[in-house]
Amino acid sequence: MNMDTSRRSFLKFLPLAAVFASIGSAAFRFLRPKLSAATDAWLDVASVSELTGPQPISRKIVAEQITGWAITTDEHNVFVLPAKNNQVVSAICPHEGCEVAWEQNRNRFSCPCHESYFAADGSRISGPAQRGLDALPARVQDGKLQVQYISNEQATRA
Amino acid sequence: MRSDNDMRAWVQTTTGIVVVLLLVQFLTGVLLAFYYVPSVDHAYTTVSYIEKVVSSGSWIRSLHHYGSQWLTIFVFIHVIRLFLDSAYVANRIQWIAAILVLGLVMTAGGTGYSLPWDARAFFSTRVAEGLMGGLPFAGPMARLWLLGGSEISGLTLSRFFALHVLVIPALIGAVVMWRMFRSRIAELFGPRDAIVGTLMFLALALWALKNPAPLGPSVAEAGADYLPRPGAQFLWLYQSLKYIPGGLGSVVGVVLPGIVLAVLVALPWLKRQRLIAGSLLGLGVVLVVIMTTASYLSDHRDPRTAQQFARQAAAEEAWRRQPFNPATITLAATTTNATGGAPVMYTKFCANCHGTQGQGAQQGPLKFPPLLDVFAKPRRSVDDIVGLLKDPAAYGLQPPMRSFSDKLTEEQMREIAEWIVKLKK
Repeated sequence: MNMDTSRRSFLKFLPLAAVFASIGSAAFRFLRPKLSAATDAWLDVASVSELTGPQPISRKIVAEQITGWAITTDEHNVFVLPAKNNQVVSAICPHEGCEVAWEQNRNRFSCPCHESYFAADGSRISGPAQRGLDALPARVQDGKLQVQYISNEQATRA
Repeated sequence: MRSDNDMRAWVQTTTGIVVVLLLVQFLTGVLLAFYYVPSVDHAYTTVSYIEKVVSSGSWIRSLHHYGSQWLTIFVFIHVIRLFLDSAYVANRIQWIAAILVLGLVMTAGGTGYSLPWDARAFFSTRVAEGLMGGLPFAGPMARLWLLGGSEISGLTLSRFFALHVLVIPALIGAVVMWRMFRSRIAELFGPRDAIVGTLMFLALALWALKNPAPLGPSVAEAGADYLPRPGAQFLWLYQSLKYIPGGLGSVVGVVLPGIVLAVLVALPWLKRQRLIAGSLLGLGVVLVVIMTTASYLSDHRDPRTAQQFARQAAAEEAWRRQPFNPATITLAATTTNATGGAPVMYTKFCANCHGTQGQGAQQGPLKFPPLLDVFAKPRRSVDDIVGLLKDPAAYGLQPPMRSFSDKLTEEQMREIAEWIVKLKK
């Protein structure tokens, strides 16, 4: 088979290439990831009257998110800092996203994954994390402390 | 003479059509698997999501749906063409492979119908259950093995899913591979096949653009008057089952086709090949054509049936216009926000129209009232709202507000009502 006939027989298969191109381009649109709609809902954390004392207080907030075909209700850990005018910080370590725990006897937050440490006010002490714990937008409404949830990924982008 | 050979070469492109349609089924099937979830509580939601939200989703699903019907028809035509060419003598492997693919493609279609878990799927699964259960001797056992238990359940859906996306495609792939390695690719799929295959794809692509694949109501929403119909490739079986008393249906629907396929596979080693294959295929064509026509006529002649189909079509059209209704998944230990988030059942059934925080919503021409400060209105105490959820008409409300007696327990209604009366502007 010389060059010419092989090129010609290749051209004869071109229509078939068009078939796969049309499915391929539809496949690209079909598989394109959906960004989940960021919720700006204010989520209740606690009554302000409960928030006293020098220690950070661990709380769970329940955030709703529309992800693809489902509304998922996720629980997130946050810490209220009564000593810092009820600032609310996310428990997600800004290093790789593990959840930090409060060590009462050593008066610090510690990350179980890569040994990042944070002070009682959320600021960075040591370890691979490059910044302190992320503060969440907070407000007081009808005597209740409320926050807007921000994921680690959103906080890093901001 | 030359044009006669040319003609022959074009007729032989049924191979190309089958190859292209098989590839389309594989590709679109893989794509659908990126979104589909084979569970009884999410299958319908994910198929709706593909239809309504995902770009090109309706087209991809329609290609897969109608492609399966076209594929069955063209494999059948391919088998008849091979018979006319006496391929069972000249090329045994080609012949056996085609018969096996015909059986596998039918099975793929049968298992595929169950996957959307809509009302059609429900009935098709029931029929499969009945056909298996009615088999002589092995019936009860075959039924249990097919269902994965004594009733149709999530186990059944998982089984149909595994058969449809793993077992059958692997078998079809194996048969096609076996066929390919025993012949030169050029023999199997030449430029003519490429042209005819492409034309066939274009036709299917346009058809799928115009006709979205049907999706019935979810099983929970299907009324008692819902009339299911199988896809075109199974209409003959559907119609035949009307004339056959009870258990004999399994013989006609499973045993006889199985025997026919087995005889056709064994044909290269039999005597009187032309007579056997000719009469089996001839009877098959006659049966399929007569029964398909009969089913078409009986559905179109009876005005009440025709009206019901019109109603179903209108309901499906209306469903397509409604926005997608997401499923609710709770990953939190507590179901509600500690101090006053919406109850999960509110989010599931009410939020789509009345807003996630009771703020109301607008969908096209329809305005849904906000629920804020509703407590200040007359006849809107907690007890009233529970009553209203059961019987909206008694509280002067019009559709689309419906009764939720069948969806919510008394306790869930009360939880919703107690949350609603706290909503303030």
